[in-house]
Amino acid sequence: MAGAASALFLLDIKGRVLVWRDYRGDVSAVQAERFFAKLIEKEGDPESQDPVVHDNGVTYMFVQHNNVYLMIASRQNCNAASLLLFLHRVVDVFKHYFEVLEEESLRDNFVVVYELLDEIMDFGYPQYTEAKILSEFIKTDAYRMEVSQRPPMAVTNAVSWRSEGIRYKKNEVFLDVVESVNILVNSNGQIIRSDVVGALKMRTYLSGMPECKLGLNDRVLLEAQGRATKGKAIDLDDIKFHQCVRLARFENDRTISFIPPDGSFDLMTYRLSTQVKPLIWVEAQVERHSRSRIEIMVKARSQFKERSTATNVEIELPVPPDATNPNVRTSMGSASYAPENDALVWKIKSFPGGKEYMLRAEFRLPSITSEESVPEKKAPIRVKFEIPYFTVSGIQVRYLKIIEKSGYQALPWVRYITMAGEYELRLI
Amino acid sequence: MESNNATSSSDPPSASSRKGEVSDLKLQLRQLAGSRAPGTDDTKRDLFKKVISYMTIGIDVSSVFSEMVMCSATSDIVLKKMCYLYVGNYAKHNPDLALLTINFLQRDCKDEDPMIRGLALRSLCSLGVANLVEYLVGPLGNGLKDGNSYVRMVAAVGVLKLYHISASTCLDADFPALLKHLMLKDKDAQVVANCLTSLQEIWGLEASTSEEAAREREALLSKPVVYYFLNRIKEFSEWAQCIVLELVAKYVPTDSEEIFDIMNLLEDRLQHANGAVVLATIKVFLHMTLSMTDVHQQVYERIKAPLLTLVSSGSPEQSYAVLSHLHLLVMRAPFIFCSDYKHFYCQYNEPFYVKKLKLEMLTAVANESNTYEIVTELCEYVANVDIPMARESIRAVGKIALQQYDVNAIVDRLLQFLEMEKEHVTAETLVLVKDLLRKYPQWSHDCIAVVGNISSKNIQEPKAKAALIWMLGEYAQDMQDAPYILESLTENWDEENSAEVRLHLLTAVMKCFLRRPPETRKALGAGLAAGLADFHQDVHDRALFYYRLLQYNVSVAERVVNPPKQAVSAFADTQSSETKDRIFDEFNSLSVVYQKPSYMFTDKEYRGPFAFAEELGNLSIGTDSGVHIIAAHGVEANDKDLLLSTSEKEDNQGYSNNGSAYTAPSYHNSMTTGAFEAPLDLVSLENLSTQTTSGLAIDELLGLGMPTMPSPAPSAPALKLNAKAVLDANAFQQKWRQLPVSISQEISIDPRGVVAMTTPQALSRHMQSHSFHCIASGGQPPNFKFFFFARKEEETSAYFVECIINSSTCKVQLKIKADDQTTSAAFSELFQSALSKFGLP
Repeated sequence: MAGAASALFLLDIKGRVLVWRDYRGDVSAVQAERFFAKLIEKEGDPESQDPVVHDNGVTYMFVQHNNVYLMIASRQNCNAASLLLFLHRVVDVFKHYFEVLEEESLRDNFVVVYELLDEIMDFGYPQYTEAKILSEFIKTDAYRMEVSQRPPMAVTNAVSWRSEGIRYKKNEVFLDVVESVNILVNSNGQIIRSDVVGALKMRTYLSGMPECKLGLNDRVLLEAQGRATKGKAIDLDDIKFHQCVRLARFENDRTISFIPPDGSFDLMTYRLSTQVKPLIWVEAQVERHSRSRIEIMVKARSQFKERSTATNVEIELPVPPDATNPNVRTSMGSASYAPENDALVWKIKSFPGGKEYMLRAEFRLPSITSEESVPEKKAPIRVKFEIPYFTVSGIQVRYLKIIEKSGYQALPWVRYITMAGEYELRLI
Repeated sequence: MESNNATSSSDPPSASSRKGEVSDLKLQLRQLAGSRAPGTDDTKRDLFKKVISYMTIGIDVSSVFSEMVMCSATSDIVLKKMCYLYVGNYAKHNPDLALLTINFLQRDCKDEDPMIRGLALRSLCSLGVANLVEYLVGPLGNGLKDGNSYVRMVAAVGVLKLYHISASTCLDADFPALLKHLMLKDKDAQVVANCLTSLQEIWGLEASTSEEAAREREALLSKPVVYYFLNRIKEFSEWAQCIVLELVAKYVPTDSEEIFDIMNLLEDRLQHANGAVVLATIKVFLHMTLSMTDVHQQVYERIKAPLLTLVSSGSPEQSYAVLSHLHLLVMRAPFIFCSDYKHFYCQYNEPFYVKKLKLEMLTAVANESNTYEIVTELCEYVANVDIPMARESIRAVGKIALQQYDVNAIVDRLLQFLEMEKEHVTAETLVLVKDLLRKYPQWSHDCIAVVGNISSKNIQEPKAKAALIWMLGEYAQDMQDAPYILESLTENWDEENSAEVRLHLLTAVMKCFLRRPPETRKALGAGLAAGLADFHQDVHDRALFYYRLLQYNVSVAERVVNPPKQAVSAFADTQSSETKDRIFDEFNSLSVVYQKPSYMFTDKEYRGPFAFAEELGNLSIGTDSGVHIIAAHGVEANDKDLLLSTSEKEDNQGYSNNGSAYTAPSYHNSMTTGAFEAPLDLVSLENLSTQTTSGLAIDELLGLGMPTMPSPAPSAPALKLNAKAVLDANAFQQKWRQLPVSISQEISIDPRGVVAMTTPQALSRHMQSHSFHCIASGGQPPNFKFFFFARKEEETSAYFVECIINSSTCKVQLKIKADDQTTSAAFSELFQSALSKFGLP
């Protein structure tokens, strides 16, 4: 069912309408505002926080970004997944125009906001949501004076994500291979879940209509070419491509060929569900001495090759909400108490492979504890880190060719980085 | 632009001073209106911005309408846009003023800049003023033929807008036909997509009143159109792809080869980065393979990885939408995700709405092999995280316990929860232990030992308290202190606010008394006295009832209050399988998120354009002519269905009576000749005496009298059909989708039969007389399509037939599905013999 949206609202943090666009004339702003304000008032009640809510024949779907809510109201049985994703695309579009999407930027630019709302959806059906194309016919004030308006060329183009006539003095492509490691370790130290989500993030500054070809050390491809695959090839699960990639080509001969959009985009994402060894292992011992003192001893160990180094390591250790007077010593890095998160944050700028560091912290507790205390929320230890020049999966870019009919030479820059995604270790 | 409106985020500071500013603006605008001096546009722009900003914060600036219109003569596109925005906002409520704008909008529709043409046309169509529609027709017509695709794209939606303002104007101008032409010819994919959405809406809404529209709507689902879209699918934007895939999901391929072709073509859509496209593709795959059991399973395997990726990547909102769909799928095929349960473990920082769905998934995928681990994980949540999460997790553990399997371990876990001595945990667990005992009374000994240690004083929540009291009453025998605990509870009767708890308390003291009379006497007396004085009507009545019951006869009271109970084998499923199927039909929509079919949450006038069920109801059993083939897909739920299907049942009944054996098959249509009436009567008498209703028996008898007819197998047929069988159209569709094809063959029929086939109704009436009931029929010569069903005599087992007749080749394609596959060959024979008699003298 291709249900149409009735209206799109941009609301402030209290649920009041900043700007709205009525597409079908069957919902009222006042009613929507009243309903939504009531909904977010009940913030304490997590039940009411579903991103899709129904009230009196109208469905409201919303996402939050900074201090702004973006909400779609509809009276039809519309495609929930599609519209929620659409809202995220709208966020991207606004970010493209205003750098930051927040209440202030909307207020400052409401004319542009109206223009955008007019183009991204027509009569409740999504139209164009690529910022690149929209900016062809909607210019912010800064651009406004430059050129006379052209009709949106990309619209007529078969390549809807790229318009013609792009020029750069220096033609460059940046390709970042980013892998985030999700891991969940239970209180017995067992890994109960782990996977890797990878993305090939591209930034292109290329003139004209370049044709790009990307080669990976993909097992299927290498085997098809009859090359040895020992150790060097990888299996990628569930690959997803940006719409510019010719999927049929990939299915046939595993070649990733495409005409890239201008600017930054995610060329490809993939997932690996193989068990990974936790790159940074954290063990914590918590001891309660009497009722007034608590001592935490933490060991952090890097479990990757010595030639790699993790940077910006941040280990968030949960502490009881009523702890005071922290006294912390570390063998490396610095630790700071963040009472607002009930956590101790241990930061280590550089953490080479095969090393082990320690932290010892002591807190005071109020000696009197109330009888009916709220049950403790036991948060897990959470770890953030980045390891440059390293991928868990072993994915490698074998080549990135750029061919344009004018024959210019383009420089491809490739970077690898592994970071922590949802990286949680549960305390005992 | 439609009414653009914005409410103030704060009240306008001082309305009166603003009023002054507005009239200032009016003056300034008026001065600028005619000016051609350089720099005018910049000044105008500032003024327009001011006007729009007032409008946005909710100040009424409609008073400057005519000035705005006067200033609209400009070539500056930003100015124009602001002007359109302003006009769109106020035109609807000021139709007189709107007339002023027509002129300049029409002029702009002819501007040489395609951008301005498009914007003007969009604004013109969005004015929404009914008495201005005449001005729309010309510009729209030109727009559809415009050389620039941007303008055509706007015009395609503009037609739909016009339709909503004035359907007749839109249809009279023959716009749908133009759209159709454009849809099939235009080079620009977005124009094509907009044509499709507009046509779907227009024909969908028209179909209930116009046969032609209904036919056109069907035509959208015809093979050439669907293939046309499939071949171009890569050209469309991600949103348009969703719409196209939605269309494809409704298409009914003729054979399995076609299905495979389509799936191969769409395979790569599963790798699309947009989750909505992936879900739409999955819908196509699932719906197309419904009748192919093996392939359907393969599809589940194939879609698993993309779905799991969507859950773990992307926004929480996307996870939410995808998890809702996963939940639906897992209910239909629990095995597919049972080894992937770890994907549904919750992360600490996820929003509650995602966690809650993940818990539901964990409950749904639990089976013998993974229950232990899942329950261990759930126990972590109970102990660790916040209260709502703990409660949900306990409920999940309980649900798994009630489902099945390793109950032993789970009961232990639940009892450990009780020992955690956290109030919310205890409360939630008590409710579960009660349900558990109702299903597994054998665990009462272990449970009661632990429950007995819980002090009722620590339990505040009514549901938990009621559960505890129920157990005290039910297991009074095993719980030493039961009478005394109950006694102390009755003493505090007045402090108990919940009527539910007081009702349970009354019953519990009764049960306890009947088992341990001397000890409970006091509690019972106090309870009944307090109950009689209770202000709550139900409590009062129950107390009085118990009192009188005891007065009348204690053993009767025993039988009433404490009858022997049987363990509950399965708790009622809250959703009927029909509802679930309907939700599945509406895959990839809000229905799945709400777990309700769409008719339950949308107002009637907003239900989707494809309301097949309604139509099917009208079509069933040879109604009027002009009917057409029903697609077996995409039933839009509609509460009208119920009404329709009952009335249709009556229809059916009427026919069945005519055709039933008691009155003999009445060949009252064109094929009957008077000569047969006498034997027919004889037949009917005989049938009456033998009480058979078999159409076949009659045929046999008739066959004896008519040697020219091919006589069916003379041996007593094993299969007898119920002449009065009734089935509503929805049930038919569901069955048709669920069952595999048991026989599929092509046969030839006598050309004489074909000659008689002037309308589909003739055949359906003929078949009716042989106890094959027509559910839907239609088609135009030479192709006719029928759906029949039949039921076995005195059994519920049913047969379903799809019968496609080509009257020029005299070929018939049969597809037979049956509940009882072993008899489908016999049924097929029966069906063919009935068919072969059609049209013969």
